[in-house]
This record gives sequence, C-alpha cells and structure tokens, in this order.
Amino acid sequence: MVRVSLTVNGEKRDAEVPPETTLLRMLREAFNLTGAKLGCDVGDCGACTVIVDGKLVNSCLMLAGQVDGRDVLTIEGLATADNLHPIQKVFEEKGSLQCGFCGPGVILSAKWLLDQNPDPSVPDIRDALSGNLCRCTGYTKMIEAIQTIARERTV
Amino acid sequence: MRAFEFYAARNASDAVALLAQHGPKVKVLAGGTDLLADLKFAAASHHPQVVVDISRADDLRGIQMTDQGLRIGALVTHTEIMDSPIIREQLPALVDAAHTIGAVQTRNLGTLGGNLVTAVPSMDSGPTLVALDAIVTVAGPEGKRQMPIVQFWVGPRKTILKTSEILVDIIIPKENVGKPTHFLKFGLRKGQALALVNVAASFHVDGNTFKAPRIGLGAVAPTVIHATSAESFLEGKPITPENMAEAGKLAVNDAKPINDFRASATYRRDLIAVLTRRALEGAYELHRKREAK
Amino acid sequence: METTTKTGTLVEAEELLRARTHSPLVPLPIEVRGPEPNRQTPAVGQRTTRPDARTHGLGQTKYIDDFYVPGMLYAKIKRAGVASARITKVDTSEAEAMPGVVAVITGKDIPVNSFGPSLKDQPVLAHERVFHAGDGVAAVAAVTEQIAADALEKIKIEYEEFAPVLDPLESLKLETPGVHAPSANIYGHKLIKKGDIEKGFAESYRIFEASFRTQMVEHVPLEPHSSLAQWDANGRLTIHSTLGRITLGRADIARTLGIPMSRIRIIATVVGGNFGGKNEITTEPVIGMLAKKTGRPVKCTFTRPEEFYASTTRHPIIMDYKTGVTKEGKILARKVRLVLDGGAYCSWSETTLGKACILCAGPYEIENLVAEAFVVYTNKTMTGAMRGFGAPQVCFGYESHMDDMAKALGIDPLEMRLRNVLKEGSLSPTSQALHSVVVKESLLQAAKRFGWNVQGAGQGQGALP
Ligand SMILES: Cc1cc2nc3c(=O)[nH]c(=O)nc-3n(C[C@H](O)[C@H](O)[C@H](O)COP(=O)(O)OP(=O)(O)OC[C@H]3O[C@@H](n4cnc5c(N)ncnc54)[C@H](O)[C@@H]3O)c2cc1C
Ligand code: FES
Ligand code: FES
Repeated sequence: MVRVSLTVNGEKRDAEVPPETTLLRMLREAFNLTGAKLGCDVGDCGACTVIVDGKLVNSCLMLAGQVDGRDVLTIEGLATADNLHPIQKVFEEKGSLQCGFCGPGVILSAKWLLDQNPDPSVPDIRDALSGNLCRCTGYTKMIEAIQTIARERTV
Repeated sequence: MRAFEFYAARNASDAVALLAQHGPKVKVLAGGTDLLADLKFAAASHHPQVVVDISRADDLRGIQMTDQGLRIGALVTHTEIMDSPIIREQLPALVDAAHTIGAVQTRNLGTLGGNLVTAVPSMDSGPTLVALDAIVTVAGPEGKRQMPIVQFWVGPRKTILKTSEILVDIIIPKENVGKPTHFLKFGLRKGQALALVNVAASFHVDGNTFKAPRIGLGAVAPTVIHATSAESFLEGKPITPENMAEAGKLAVNDAKPINDFRASATYRRDLIAVLTRRALEGAYELHRKREAK
Repeated sequence: METTTKTGTLVEAEELLRARTHSPLVPLPIEVRGPEPNRQTPAVGQRTTRPDARTHGLGQTKYIDDFYVPGMLYAKIKRAGVASARITKVDTSEAEAMPGVVAVITGKDIPVNSFGPSLKDQPVLAHERVFHAGDGVAAVAAVTEQIAADALEKIKIEYEEFAPVLDPLESLKLETPGVHAPSANIYGHKLIKKGDIEKGFAESYRIFEASFRTQMVEHVPLEPHSSLAQWDANGRLTIHSTLGRITLGRADIARTLGIPMSRIRIIATVVGGNFGGKNEITTEPVIGMLAKKTGRPVKCTFTRPEEFYASTTRHPIIMDYKTGVTKEGKILARKVRLVLDGGAYCSWSETTLGKACILCAGPYEIENLVAEAFVVYTNKTMTGAMRGFGAPQVCFGYESHMDDMAKALGIDPLEMRLRNVLKEGSLSPTSQALHSVVVKESLLQAAKRFGWNVQGAGQGQGALP
C-alpha cells in the first residue's frame, strides 16, 4: 500500500491505495469524484483529464503515488451548481456537449488553454482539444464556445 | 494493472541505488505515458515487480548551457522543451518535434528521456537529436558514461541501458547549438498520430555550400538513423534546390521502411524523398531568416 | 416568446445507489430544467438548452460506471481469442481458489444460452463452440477489477481449433463449411425487382461494371458498455445498463435467465454515446447470473479493446454494380449485388440488409432495377446496427460508381447526377411514390455553397474544364 496525502479541489485528502492504483482510479473510487471518466485507459481519449499542479494531464497515466503532496483539480472543483465557471455556462448555452461523457475533460482542457492564453485562435483551440476525443459533437460548438468566452473576457 | 512495489527516488544516484537493489524485475517510471500504457497490457511474465519513480529527481531536470553544450535533463517534458526560451531561439526544430507528440496532456507528462528510452523507431524526438549529433549521458552503479545518441539504440524498443542504469541527460554539442535545423513529421492525422516518416535536416552554411550536413530519419528502420549517403553527397556541395532533391532521393536508399497497417514501404519511400528535401529547404529558410535580421 | 420551463424539480440520487460515504463536492440534489408535463411547448424555431447540460458541464451526470454500490463485485469476461473452435476442456478451479474471487461461471451456467434482436443465434457465454475470437467463454466476479482480471488468466480452456471462415465471398459458396452448421451461412436475403433490366441494358449506350468494398467500423462510444446488476429480496433483478433498447433487453434477459420479464427492471441512465452499438444486451445476463450466485451487486464495464472485439460493428459490404446508361448519362438499368459480412451472429443484420438493398440504387430514378442482397456468417466480430443501417456503405458504392461513369462519359459529375435524380412523384426501388423530394435543389445548394465550378447546371450543359 502507498499512503498519499494531497490537495483535491482545495481540500486536503488522504488515501491508502495499492501501488498500482492510477490517479484516475483513486479519484473515482477512493474520493468518489467520478467526473473524470475512464474512456480508454491508455492516454488516447482525454476523458480522464485533470489538472495537477497547474498542468493538464491524463489521470489514467499517473500513479496515485506520483501525486503525493500535489494539488489536483477535477471538474468537481471548478464550480458549484449555482456558481458556474464561465466555460460551463457558455458550453451550456451553446449546446457544446451532447452525451457529455467527454465534457469534464474538454472543459478542463478549455480552462487550461484560457489560463495560458486568454485570446486563443481557432488553431490554438484545436491544438488544446486534440487530446480530448468527442464522438458526438464534431467539436464545432466547443470551439465556438471557447472563442465566445475569450471574446467576453477580453472586452 | 498487476501489483508491484513502488519507490520514489529523490535524485539520480538514489534512483540508481534503488534499481541496483531491486533488479532485474524493476522498471523506471518518468512521465509514465509509455510505461503505464504498457503495464496495463503486459503479460504476467513481462511485468515488473518493482517500479522506481524518478519523476521527483530534480537533478534530472533542467535545460542549460554547459561547457559541453546545451544540456537537456532526461526528465524535461515535451512541454518544457516547447516553452524553453533558449531552445525556441537556438533550435526551433526541437520545439516543432516536441509539438507533434501526442496532445497537451501527453506532452505535459511525457519526458524527452522516456521518449528516447522507449526507443520506438517512430519517436518524434529522435531525428532532430540525431541530426544535431547529440550526446547522451547514462549513469549506473559504476558511474557515468557518454555516447553519441545513435549508439544508444540497438533495435526497436531496445537500448544499451542495463537494468540498473538510467539516462541522465542529452547534450547538443556546443558547435551545433544554433545550427540551422528543420523537423518534419508525416502522420495519418494531425493530432495523436504516430509518424509514418519523420525527418530532421541540419547543416551549417559555408559561403553557399553545405557544411556538416546531417539528416536524421525516423520510422523507416529499426532505430532512428543517419541518412549517411545523402549526408556525404551534400558535404561541400552548393546549396541548390537540385542538390536538396538529390539528397532526398539518396536518403531513400539509406532507409529500410516496412509495410504495416499504417502505410506501405513504397509510400514511405516516397515520403522520405519529399520530406528530406523539404526539411533541407526548411533549415535553409531558417538560416536566411536569421541572416535577414 | 418564452419557452415554458418548470424549475425546482429535484432529482435525488437513488437511495439504493447512493455512492460511498464521501459526498461529491457539489451536493446533489440539484435543480434541473425540463418542459412542464402536459403542456404544449412551442418547439420549432426556439433555442433551448439541453436539460442535462448543467450536470454534464459540472461533471455530475452519473453514467453507469460512476455507480458504486456497497458490497459490489467487479466482473470480467474471458475472451476466446480463437475464431472458430470446439471447447474441449474448461478448468476454472485455480481461478475459483484465488483470494478475492467470489464466483466463476461458464456457458453451462446460463439457463437459456442464446439471444439476439431477431435470430437467437448468439450465446451469452460460448458453450461447446466458439464462433469468433471475442466470444466470452467464462466470467469472474471478484472484489476488485484487478483480481477479476488476474483470475481470467488462471482459467484454463482447451480448444480444438477449426479453420475460420473469414471472407464473406467464401462464406457465400455452398461448399464452404457452415459457421453455424447445420444452418446455412446465408442467413438473410432480399431481392428487389423493378421494370425489365435486360431490356434496359439492351438499349444502353454503354454498360459500366464496378465493385466496391467497405471495411468494418466500430462505433467507439466514448463511454464503454457498462452494467450493474442486483437482485432484491423478492427475486427481482434490477440492472442499470448503457442499453438503448429497454424492452428488447428485458425480453432477452428474461429468456436467457429463464425468469419472467416482469421480474426484470432495467434502468438506463444517460448514455455516453450509442450510435447503434448499444442496442442489444452484452454482459447483462452474465452479471445477472453472477449477482445471483454471489448474492451481491455485480458491475461489468468493457475495456476499450472489448469495445472493438466483443460489441457489434458496422457491416462491411461487398458491392457489385452494373449500370447501363444513355450517351447523355441517363441511367436505363442497374443491377446490384450486395454481400454483407454478418460476422458471427445476426444481431441487426436483417434491418441493415433491408435498408442497404432498398437504398443501393441511390437517390436516382431507375426504371429497370434488380437489387439483391445477402448477409452471411463469418467467424468475425458480429456486425449490427450503426448509424444508417447500411445506407452509408451503399452510398459510397453508388456515388463512386457515378463519378467513374461521369468521368468515362465526359460529363460533369454534378450534371450526371442532376440528370438522374429522383423528382416529385418518382417511384422508389420498391415502387413507392415519393413526395417532398428536393434532391435536385439540395445538390444545387450544396454545389453553390462549396463553389462547384458549374455554369448553367440543371440546364443540360455540363461544364467540366
Ligand atoms: C496518447 C499518446 C500519444 C503519444 N504520441 C506520441 C507521438 O506522437 N510521438 C512520440 O514520439 N511519442 C508519442 N507518445 C509516446 C510517449 O508519450 C513518449 O514516448 C514520452 O516521451 C515517453 O516519456 P515518459 O516520461 O512518459 O516515459 P515513461 O512512460 O515514464 O517511460 C518510458 C520507458 O522509458 C524508461 N525510462 C524513462 N525515463 C528513463 C530514464 N531517465 N532512464 C532510464 N529509463 C527511463 C521507462 O522505464 C520506460 O521503459 C504518445 C503516448 C501517448 C500515451
Ligand atoms: S481514459 Fe485516460 S486518456 Fe482515455
Ligand atoms: S458529447 Fe459525447 S463524446 Fe463528446
């Protein structure tokens, strides 16, 4: 067993898990944070995307032991139901998500992008979303939404 | 994933000690983008009993100029390469190569060292480092040793590393820092695709002739290779479109591309000729842009 | 105008499924919006947001794999890995003895080991015979997913392997051994005849023949198949599942488990992409049996590789076209033969076969037509429903054929189509009179929008450079 102490969405959390536990599994099973999803388990789909120490990562490709002492942000930490993050709000208005399974990952990728680059071009947005597969939408409304947020923020 | 023991190394020598102590069924974990995906599918017989996490060994990080040249720590991530001011300025080809790897998430985790140690022939970091005659440093219980990067690989997924050795850093020799270089990758998609062929070309401009031309080819042989006949053809020749095209044709014979489900060998041969020529053009273009400044 | 919405509806997580002791940081219940019942809402022309958009964006939508029930076990299914074989020996003892393994079942434990949306030709777990490499041959329920996966490797199965039938054209031949002998390999057939093709071909200026093939395609829903089974004290089975067809699923589960449909409740929550791939049961009877045997809730979620080899895919079709045309490119007669690769089991092949056959003439007026379609068994992953039920495959066939003919005749490809498209009142291949037909208008609009280089299109003057 490895002991892990970390910050998740601003709260101190501890867990004792088998060493082969991925960060994704620890979040879902030890902390009951099921926003990050398992889509492929090998880094291809981005459904498991979270932010660790400010970096966008695939939580299926990290071991729980590697995040000891680190700061993890999952979709659950981004906002509350009545205080939406602007990305969540615009995604909702634009209908950017259909089945929604890719949503938590896509929204965190969008947040990471806007944190780095407040005024991204369409190629920048495509690049930032290239690690998030969406089988339903075709991405158009996600790209529109991210542009809208950038525009609203810069004015 | 099957069970294993997990140890986190504090630094390089700690890592070597842990590896020596737990070998031979032990594996190094850096960014984990290759290792964890492999472990999830590994047969029981190939599964390590111990995983040594080196991702906190800070002496394996960092990008800085040393007496020998530009040192890139094995743990430097692809994103860090893309963001490094000195690399952006001196060796933008390394930035382009890093940018083609996976996606944001994989580039934030994946390290240069991991890419080189995994040693798949299509690795995107390989061709540029080959074209720049990079040197790698390896550390083990007996100390450190260095070698040209092409000697580091011995076949697909095989390097000279012994179980208790680690890759420490990659050094671009001083005389090649700033050498005009260009990298190109051709995959079936833009995002998240492995290279069918990747190429880097590098040369100094001596008057109007090629000096120390180097061409690195990936995904077309068991390891990343030099296109040696193209390189010797170009040495001392005038920089002309014809010579670049001829070098492209010669590079085809330096490679041994295979047929697989991604592309045929014939298609790959065509790609080698075209991409080699374009990489040479790109390197020259960079040189001219810098001259113009 | 305002869309009438009702706010304040509380969605509470079911008591039964209330996840472990930790509560999510955004506490349920939350508000969701939806139309008020029994009120006609103006829909057309209204912009509206999806009722599930809020929970999607917050990561609060619960998909099946997000449910963790106290005492729940994890199931894994061992896959055959051989395409065609007789199972000669099954030894599960070593797996059963593993700490953490609670139950192991094989085909013999399934009360009625066959199901399917039309033909009941698919075993829940292969018993005696294996028909494709993705067939399940045994299943394990264990306290963790990893233990279940490790246990699969301890199950020893011996096979007598046979040469698999892989090529649909081989399968079509009478002398080829039956995949499901004594049943024939051709398990579906459709023939459409209209007019007189012999006459049509005889009057043609030229006759073109071409063959096209499409490949197998997986739906790849981002959410893998998942289901969670639990029995209650009264002998009723509740299954949370990614299944899209509830009643059909209940019927199939009732059949395989040998209990009345009224004892089976399926709860299908939000699905993370279906695309036709989640239209039939997969693991439900297996986890139903495991849950019964262990007396505990059992969940099974496919790995991504299982999505590819153990769920349905899109039919590859081999399409042979023969088309007679006038000098001006008007189609006089067409003969089509379609061979659909049905894979190991029927699934939704009959629907796919029918649609492909009706649509293979394309949106063109063809007076003299023979279209014949066969679907055959092969020892491959089963093919079933996927967006369009055969329509995308034949579209690739008839449109490629059209381009080839236009080129050979020196007619602009758009013009060639305009000369043949269905019009108001045209008869379909099955002689149905068609209304609200706007093929021509659609083509012209499209050509205009993407800048097709044609002047006077529709006026009979093709304009290829
Ligand atoms: C979705 C996805 C897309 C990808 N796309 C690309 C792509 O386009 N191009 C490309 O080239 N690669 C790609 N990769 C591969 C991978 O991301 C890179 O090879 C990455 O650089 C590996 O680094 P890592 O730190 O993650 O290695 P790890 O997974 O940690 O390690 C890889 C191997 O190297 C060993 N190792 C690592 N560091 C050391 C060291 N310092 N000393 C000794 N041994 C060491 C490990 O033991 C292991 O065997 C992709 C991977 C994924 C998951
Ligand atoms: S589940 Fe991690 S990238 Fe797909
Ligand atoms: S909305 Fe379904 S996968 Fe993106």
